[in-house]
Amino acid sequence: MTPNTLVHSLVAASVAVAASVAVSLSPALAADPVKIGLLEDQSGNFAIAVIPKIQATQLAIEEINAKGGILGRPVRLTHYDTQSDNTRFQEFARRLIQQDKVDVIFGAFSSASREAIRPIMDRAKQLYFYNNQYEGGVCDSNVFVTGAVPEQQFSTLIPWLMEKYGKKVYTIAADYNFGQISAEWVRNIVKKGGGSMVGEEFIPLSVSQFSQTIQNIQKAKPDVLITLLVGANQASFYEQQAAANLNIPMGSSVNVGQAYEHKRFKPPALKNMYVTANYIEEIESPASNDFKKRFRAKFPDAPYINQEAANAYNVVYLYKAAAEKAKSTDMKAVRKALESGDICTDGPSGKVCIDPKSHHQSHTIYLVKVNADHSVTIPKVWNDIKPYWLGEAGCDLSKKDDTSQYTPSSPPKK
Amino acid sequence: MSWLSGFNGPQTLGSGLGFWSSFAAAVVLLAAAPWLVESYLVNNLAYFLLWTFMALGLSVIWGHAGILSFGQTAFFGLAGYSYGVISINLGDANGLTWVAFSGALLLTALFAALVAYFMFYGGVGNVFVGIVTLSITLVMETFMAQTAGPEWAIGSARLNGFNGMSNMPPLTMPGIVEGGLVLEGNALYWFVLALAVSVYLGLRRLVNSRFGNVLVAIRENPDRAEMLGYDVRLYQLAAFTLGGALAGVSGVLYTTWGSYITPSSMGLTAAALPIIWTAAGGRKDITTTFVATVFLLWLSQTLAVKGAQYALVLMGVILLLVVLLAPDGLVLLASRALARTAAELRRRRT
Amino acid sequence: MLATGIGFAYQFADSFAFLILSSIGLAVIFGMMGVINLAHGEFIMCGAYVTVLSARAGLPLPLAMVLGAAVAGAIGILIEFLVIRRLYSRLFDSIVATWAISVIATQGMLIVVGPSLEGLKTPFGSFELAGLTFSWYRILLPVVALAILASLYLLFVKTPFGVRARATIQKPEMARALGVNTDRVYSLTFGLGAALAGLTGALYAPTMTTVPTMGSAFIVQAFVTVVVGGTDVLLGAAPAATVLAFIQSLLTASNGQLIGQVGLLLTVIVVVRLMPKGISGWMLKGSE
Repeated sequence: MTPNTLVHSLVAASVAVAASVAVSLSPALAADPVKIGLLEDQSGNFAIAVIPKIQATQLAIEEINAKGGILGRPVRLTHYDTQSDNTRFQEFARRLIQQDKVDVIFGAFSSASREAIRPIMDRAKQLYFYNNQYEGGVCDSNVFVTGAVPEQQFSTLIPWLMEKYGKKVYTIAADYNFGQISAEWVRNIVKKGGGSMVGEEFIPLSVSQFSQTIQNIQKAKPDVLITLLVGANQASFYEQQAAANLNIPMGSSVNVGQAYEHKRFKPPALKNMYVTANYIEEIESPASNDFKKRFRAKFPDAPYINQEAANAYNVVYLYKAAAEKAKSTDMKAVRKALESGDICTDGPSGKVCIDPKSHHQSHTIYLVKVNADHSVTIPKVWNDIKPYWLGEAGCDLSKKDDTSQYTPSSPPKK
Repeated sequence: MSWLSGFNGPQTLGSGLGFWSSFAAAVVLLAAAPWLVESYLVNNLAYFLLWTFMALGLSVIWGHAGILSFGQTAFFGLAGYSYGVISINLGDANGLTWVAFSGALLLTALFAALVAYFMFYGGVGNVFVGIVTLSITLVMETFMAQTAGPEWAIGSARLNGFNGMSNMPPLTMPGIVEGGLVLEGNALYWFVLALAVSVYLGLRRLVNSRFGNVLVAIRENPDRAEMLGYDVRLYQLAAFTLGGALAGVSGVLYTTWGSYITPSSMGLTAAALPIIWTAAGGRKDITTTFVATVFLLWLSQTLAVKGAQYALVLMGVILLLVVLLAPDGLVLLASRALARTAAELRRRRT
Repeated sequence: MLATGIGFAYQFADSFAFLILSSIGLAVIFGMMGVINLAHGEFIMCGAYVTVLSARAGLPLPLAMVLGAAVAGAIGILIEFLVIRRLYSRLFDSIVATWAISVIATQGMLIVVGPSLEGLKTPFGSFELAGLTFSWYRILLPVVALAILASLYLLFVKTPFGVRARATIQKPEMARALGVNTDRVYSLTFGLGAALAGLTGALYAPTMTTVPTMGSAFIVQAFVTVVVGGTDVLLGAAPAATVLAFIQSLLTASNGQLIGQVGLLLTVIVVVRLMPKGISGWMLKGSE
């Protein structure tokens, strides 16, 4: 290779860089729009549960724009496919903040991806909504959460199951933050309800073969099996336990409601599965049916409308309400408005409101039962369950700034 | 003058005045970037540059010494976590973050040396090195992913499992400004750029020196090198340790750039990436490795921005074409294509 | 006591089957041909998807599985012809090529078929023994695994094709000089490896979720089993799987899945260190 060719390649590289710079500095659009940034996984491992969220957000924005937008300005959505990859979350969070200069960011599915971008949001003081269920505990001035948290899902599910089936509980959970913290919540609630934990097993995310786990469960003879399994690998448990005829009632806060396992596995793999979700497609209330109609009109091929879709839909309306209360899209003003205590929206699951102390959202919790043929019944509904734990534990963002995540075993310092 | 000639040699491409003047021009252009383009692009460029150390390290281990290591991400992760633990415990006053930086690198280099000793002095070679290093990085990932509980803390730094460790202070230069210059934004960019240029030049000297030539001799024919009197295992250990330390540099820079480090940085997908960059670029030369790494990072990000869910498919197709049509890597392919076009244009003019 | 023993034996057989079935396709393509096939998981995924789709379309399950293996094999032959053939002189580049194919396959599947498919039911039901219930199908898997291994061994050692294949792989110029159509041998061998991977996917399809990324559940186990097996892959695969499955089952039974997973990987490191040419390399050392 001659010096000339390397010279040419370096020159070409510089030209390429300059060209891409020129392309990136695209001219601004007319009529100052309200800019919403969306960081969601359209591909990769989490796509199953996340695609309905993207669709729901798009639906909400379309509806709002048809009615005149926010503060009379059109809403523009910038969505980057984060490919279920934490580094993409970091890269595109920076892009949304520094280049696209968005007014608010929605997004993230896994807690790891949220934690990857929370430092970036905090450093830039960027308003950010996390619209997914998770292990709870984020007490962050810049972050608002519309997803359900353990006190909403477990304080409803566990006592109901213990009363119906018995007090001996076995937990299998994914072996990471969400699974471990959720299992801690289960443990505490079981003890408070006079029950006993006959076993607890934590399973790495990469495991897909559960023969030993199934044996362990059988030896412990529990009345109720709590399954906190995450990801496609771990979901294989359901088919394997059905093949081994385990036949124990199961409870979960995370399956069915997000990745609609009851539609993807052959019956009766999920027979006698109870899930507390803040919304699922099978709900037949007027609000839900109307939402489903509009959703399917825009997305006729959507495989399922899951609970996170309801959150991703509601959040746009919540932001609209806050911006209109603050009469501006300035992030500090909107945050103040959100902390006023009366930012609510009437969504597919009814009325939901933002709690000023913890920045989390109240929920209607539905107890979903999966039958032997994988049809769904809803034996019980709990209305307006507030996200009480963080406020009680000492997190009050309306009075004191913070950027942490707490857990039951490491609560805020009093 | 003879000291300068140490930068050129048989193991690196480009050696004449043309190459070096373009190199200087490129460095000047890159250094001036904060005044030429907006801050997002500068930040993004810093992000691309910080990965190059890991790729350069792999080029030394694999391209020059002929050892395929699947475990660069193990050292990346170890350095990132070490920086996090040390800097959270020490704080960022008075330049203590540099203690964290050096501490992390020292720890990583030591671990790399240990692994190298275990493998090379145990007779492990070829594809078995790949499997052992892959197993190491996966063990670390699996183990770290479950350290979520509060009992998993070193001092005041919680490892925080799969969700990742954050809240570590960014690198801070004491003095310069009140409270120390925090390396963020442009300051971080210049630091990473200066480090990249220095490491690049340093490696150029190293691979063209006797050490580098011996490494290549070992790559080509280890038995012959042994018979010529070189302690093959010692050279392999040195190369592997250096490569691991460079991966550690990337790890610390990534952690300070994003204030975050996670076990998935040590997983299977992450482990394959440095190998892809190095292989697609032409692993035997550090210049082509460097250019290809930055280019591929830029390309995959741009595809993800513009191509939505087709981004990954397009990336795969491009890589496939590169490997089929460019046995010497895509940088050389591009250069040769440009050279041919230039020659063709010159010919047409006469 | 009896329950523990039976439970352990069942668990061991299960792990053993998983390791063998994960690795047989790769054993042929990587172990014998030297092609580092990072798309191995995607051949498995292909076999699983074809099986599920054809079984749901009405084909009886065994036929659906054969179809799954056959389609994976056919795609393997196509990929060998288009891509792998050009890389035999530079096998390290097969890393990038197969990685690219893997990315294209997983993402392409997601775009074309969607993020998930409705799966199949595990056949044959369950039985009870010593107070525990087990799935019949999972007893079948280790039996099938051993049968496949034995057939492979017979194929490559006793049949003319097998002998020609091994000759071609070891000394291609010599084989060509002796009149062997080496192109066809490479093509068929690679296709066989792909078909075996497809068969693995077909066999496990009724027990797992069918998602485009399902190959990732097998790939690490496949690579470690093949490499620990060593230079003579057909000889080494079963001993490698035995050792690894034994340790993994023991650790999982006593300390849980995390220790089982970590223990498996640590065992790989220790075994490779103790036997730097793999298990078969160590076994054959005396005969050199």
